[in-house]
Amino acid sequence: MNEIKKLFSQGIWKDNPVFRQILGICSSLAVTNLLINSFVMGIGLCFVTGFSSFTVSVFRHHTPKHIRMMVQTLIISAYVIILDIFLKAYYPSMSKALGPYVGLIITNCIIMGRCEAFAQHNKPIISFFDGISMGLGYTVVLLFIAFFRELLGFGSLFGIQVLGENWVNWTLMIMPPGAFFMLAIVIWIAKNIFPTPEDTNEGGAKA
Amino acid sequence: MPRKKPLVYPVVFMILLTALFTFLLAFINASTIDEIERQEELSIQRSILYIFDIPYKELDDRDITKRYTQNISSSIEKNRKIYRYTLNDTVKGYAFEFSGSGLWGTISGHIAFTPSFDQILGVNFIRHSETPGLGGRIDEVTYKDQFRNISVMTANPLIYRPATNGNIDSISGATLTSKAVKDIINDFIPKIKSYAKEVGLYE
Repeated sequence: MNEIKKLFSQGIWKDNPVFRQILGICSSLAVTNLLINSFVMGIGLCFVTGFSSFTVSVFRHHTPKHIRMMVQTLIISAYVIILDIFLKAYYPSMSKALGPYVGLIITNCIIMGRCEAFAQHNKPIISFFDGISMGLGYTVVLLFIAFFRELLGFGSLFGIQVLGENWVNWTLMIMPPGAFFMLAIVIWIAKNIFPTPEDTNEGGAKA
Repeated sequence: MPRKKPLVYPVVFMILLTALFTFLLAFINASTIDEIERQEELSIQRSILYIFDIPYKELDDRDITKRYTQNISSSIEKNRKIYRYTLNDTVKGYAFEFSGSGLWGTISGHIAFTPSFDQILGVNFIRHSETPGLGGRIDEVTYKDQFRNISVMTANPLIYRPATNGNIDSISGATLTSKAVKDIINDFIPKIKSYAKEVGLYE
């Protein structure tokens, strides 16, 4: 139990995939102009990371080392397709809103990063929770960025107008540059909170 | 000399794993295909009801289909599907599917006209790959509702404000998507008018 608690505190805070490991940047730039998109993207990523890590861990003793990345890609893509089918069947409006981004979950480095760094050397259940905690860490950052972008760019939160008639939408915030500014601010703050340089290199390409 | 890597085991392992996941995906696909088709059909029905401005928001799925079948009939003439909205035996409008290139991929949707083809009744988009939150906002009612009752008696009827005679607003932050939508519809209108004349929908 304690181990799981520790995993969650690492995933969400100390070892957060976005502002500590600088993984999953592309999608955190892309979908954060609306809270609802970020939320569903985050849940989707939790699902895929959790189950991919679990499956990779189940097969870890049987997977030949030199083809492990191929195996991981296969496993991750299968879960992404499952998520895509699920959204199409039971949540079509979200499937439509997220459009191509669902399929692009597979390119999120967090998933493969966790498979490589954690699931390869740990038991299935604990790997599953590691995946979920990293997914949650990602979701929290996404929601944080989206909160400011949607509020300043549209004057709304989760699609509900909260700033009055007199609010002038700050369009830059919902455009791609807004994402860069917000993410930079988040990483800057995080950098100040964790002043000691640590080796957080988890392996895998950054994107 | 480096140790020779085994060949047979990885190949067999990969084949088995691929087979396992293919089987799993095929199973999930087969068990949800009916639901996905039903959802797609419903989204078309909602779209057609929306462009004819027939209220449906408060209805559940079954009642949407009921309202759709009560009001709308469709037929295929010269390879194009025509949706007819009939109320008390008078035709209230015709609708068609259109598609064209958006910023990232094809944008397709439905457009409805009055029986005399002088005004747009409504426009809706059913499929597109525009950026969520930017170009993807063509799905928002505030944008789509602008197309209602726009006269199509001139060439290139859609003009974005603030140009002279502008009649709709583009989406801020999504200039290219907005332009794509305008071009798709402006190109589609003369085509569909000549088609409608050809099949005898109006004189």
